[in-house]
Amino acid sequence: MSYRVKLNVFEGPFDLLVYLIEHARMSIYDIQVSEITTQYIDYVKEMKEADVTLSSEFMVLAAELLEIKSKMLLPRTVMDEVGSEVYEDPRTELVAKLQEYKRFKSISAMLEERAADAAAALEKPQEDLAEFTGEPDEYLLLDTEQFRAAFELFLQRKKRMEELREHHIRTEKERITTEVRMAGIREFFKAEGLRETDFRRLVPNIEDKYDISVTFSSVLEMMKERTLDAEQKKLFGDILVKATDQLFEEGESNGRE
Amino acid sequence: MAGNKTIKSAIESMMFVWGEPLSVKAVADIFNTDKKEIYDCFKELQEEYEQEGRGIVIREVNKSFQFVTRKENLDYIERLCTPVRKRRLSQSALETLAIVAYKQPVTKGEIEAIRGIRCDRVMDGLIKKRLVDEVGRADSVGRPILYGTTDEFLKQFGFETLKDLPEIEDIEGALIEEDEDAPVIDGVLGQMSLEDL
Repeated sequence: MSYRVKLNVFEGPFDLLVYLIEHARMSIYDIQVSEITTQYIDYVKEMKEADVTLSSEFMVLAAELLEIKSKMLLPRTVMDEVGSEVYEDPRTELVAKLQEYKRFKSISAMLEERAADAAAALEKPQEDLAEFTGEPDEYLLLDTEQFRAAFELFLQRKKRMEELREHHIRTEKERITTEVRMAGIREFFKAEGLRETDFRRLVPNIEDKYDISVTFSSVLEMMKERTLDAEQKKLFGDILVKATDQLFEEGESNGRE
Repeated sequence: MAGNKTIKSAIESMMFVWGEPLSVKAVADIFNTDKKEIYDCFKELQEEYEQEGRGIVIREVNKSFQFVTRKENLDYIERLCTPVRKRRLSQSALETLAIVAYKQPVTKGEIEAIRGIRCDRVMDGLIKKRLVDEVGRADSVGRPILYGTTDEFLKQFGFETLKDLPEIEDIEGALIEEDEDAPVIDGVLGQMSLEDL
């Protein structure tokens, strides 16, 4: 077929179909379905070759056209309620759709004209009416530089607060360590000049579970170092903590850590 | 009770300050009088501006009024400065808007059935441009959103009310007599000819 469509942009399948019908100088009421279908499908093919993504709606109408085309080949009379033969045109529905589409197409042309005409009258946008309302907005008398400085100050303060908060959390987490407690225990024995003591006396705050457990593990650690020895006579009984000679020797040679 | 002259004078000042379309209702509330009276005052004032051929005219948009320039003066204004022009709507936007305007309240599905193509993007654009808005929900299955046109639409397309939308027959300018060959198709569509479009 020599017919060739320039790659116009069509707003949709109806737009294309209406164009083809008008181009072929056909009456919308007597569409040569076979011819138009061929043209329509040719166009869709051409679009595909041109690598234009056609929406699926174009294919739907192609299918509808083919359906109508095939129906045109079949006997087209049906019986109505009274039993007389009625001519039924398979194109009727499509024609109605196309008519409605064309109708809105012409309305849109009218609207376009109206818009162009109405745009010739200019309006003034509403101004800031705050000064008329008795409660005018307070304006900041700042230039950009001042505003920037103020904002930076705010950012700095925010950063400082964040740092502070971070630090605060850290101090809470950083509770006394075994190392510190071990040094404390060594000092305790030396200062008191004791060789043995009740475990409880090594815990500064006997109410604090953490304090108890850190002291306990410190004692265990020092037992491993052989600077302490411990004795528990019975299960859950009092623990007697004894300092070994090593503890005092170590203190003399290495000094306190 | 303020006299007609006082009201018209006040309306004029208020419109000047307000800029945007000033509603009859707002003015009626201020004067504590009925809307009909205020509407008539607006109309009289509009007529006076029109009669005198002033460079400022009064535009009505859905029972609201605002000062705008006389269209004929656009050329002079453009020689003075370049007013901001609204971008023209695309063909698909115009088509969709036409359907919304004449079929409202209408669902997206109904619009798509007429255009034969999906129009979500186009509708979003029209809503963003404040030409179309949701006006409610249909009672049908899924309660789809119903769309209608806005006052902004009336303003941009130069209609005072929706009743000003021209009859479709007038737009098409076609008469049934000219189209006797056409088979009769059910509904209003059958009455129109498309041959002459």
